[in-house]
Amino acid sequence: MQQYVNVNIDGAIIRAIRGTSVLDTAIEYGICIPHLCHVPGLTDIGACRLCIVEHVVNGRSKVTTSCTLNVEEGMVILTSTDKIRKLRHNLAELLVAQAPNSRAIQDIAVRCGVTSVRYPFRNADCVLCGRCVRTCTEIWKARAIGFVGRGKDRHVDYPFGIQPEFCKQCNNCIQICPMTITPCNGPMKPGEEYLCGQCESQLIVADETPGSCVWCELGEGFACGRYA
Amino acid sequence: MSPLAIDQILDGRRSQPDQLIEVLHDVQEKDGYIPEEAMQAVSQGLGVPIMEVYRVASFYKAFRLKPAGKNVLTICMGTACHVRGARLLLDQATGQLGIELGDVTPDGLFSIERVNCLGTCALGPIVTENETYHHHVTPGKLRKLIDTIGGQQPEETQHAQTQ
Repeated sequence: MQQYVNVNIDGAIIRAIRGTSVLDTAIEYGICIPHLCHVPGLTDIGACRLCIVEHVVNGRSKVTTSCTLNVEEGMVILTSTDKIRKLRHNLAELLVAQAPNSRAIQDIAVRCGVTSVRYPFRNADCVLCGRCVRTCTEIWKARAIGFVGRGKDRHVDYPFGIQPEFCKQCNNCIQICPMTITPCNGPMKPGEEYLCGQCESQLIVADETPGSCVWCELGEGFACGRYA
Repeated sequence: MSPLAIDQILDGRRSQPDQLIEVLHDVQEKDGYIPEEAMQAVSQGLGVPIMEVYRVASFYKAFRLKPAGKNVLTICMGTACHVRGARLLLDQATGQLGIELGDVTPDGLFSIERVNCLGTCALGPIVTENETYHHHVTPGKLRKLIDTIGGQQPEETQHAQTQ
């Protein structure tokens, strides 16, 4: 039997199912928390850090990822304070500098209010969100890909770099990857990266009611939790 | 590594995924590195997916995935050694042996490693050669060291070939 708890997210008292994450609860209720590595149905690992929120405990607030935070009775969560917006802005800026060649990440940058990028563009193919690894492990139970290496050498690879015979070749890892949809103007060449920013018109409503989900089109590129 | 040796290592630890790191340590101790076949056997024996074994083995610096050379040159790149020119030693070693950091020479005699501190900062820069510590090393001393270790063996093999 489902048990319910009452949580306070941005002042709204929400009756949430015990055991769900704060991110899921907020999206269900219509509060927008930008996220990238979260995929409905997969375990959350808090890799992209975009879904950070303030969790107020005894008058002190802790910044933590909402996807790995489970709802509890009497919890107080703030999703769109100045502090959070500033941190999230910086995270989105770092992500877009790492991988500008992704519509999903460009969209997230726009959503988080990034107007210029202070970091050098790296034009990498991966932001280590772990969506492919978790899909392969949890949905397909294949475990054909995984994280290899450590620190700056960490990357997604097959065991020993060779596609194993137990790979089901379902291509789900590619479908779910946020890098597969290029920006609207086509892929960027190394050295010519820019911040797309074309979808800023999407955010007119979002500016008026910060923190609320306005059913923007920005989530399509990375399968925002709302679309599930 | 022979299947028998792996069986010996796995004995009493089969189907215990939590023994993964212990088993990998034992494999490494026996062989000096962890070969692909050993990882496959460990994966089978412990019931851990091969991806998981490879992920763990590649994550920890303590595990080697490639065989080491006969003489392992470990260059300390800690702060004290670094300011005294450990970078030059690394350049000297890679240049003289013609291999990159972490690789083995084609004849299998040398491999170059780096380490972040050996705890003897006052004696830096430090280079260890198979557990033997060489202190206050300069590029010149390192060149002589490599020459003396590597010098004799190639001649011996040449000699053997001519015979």
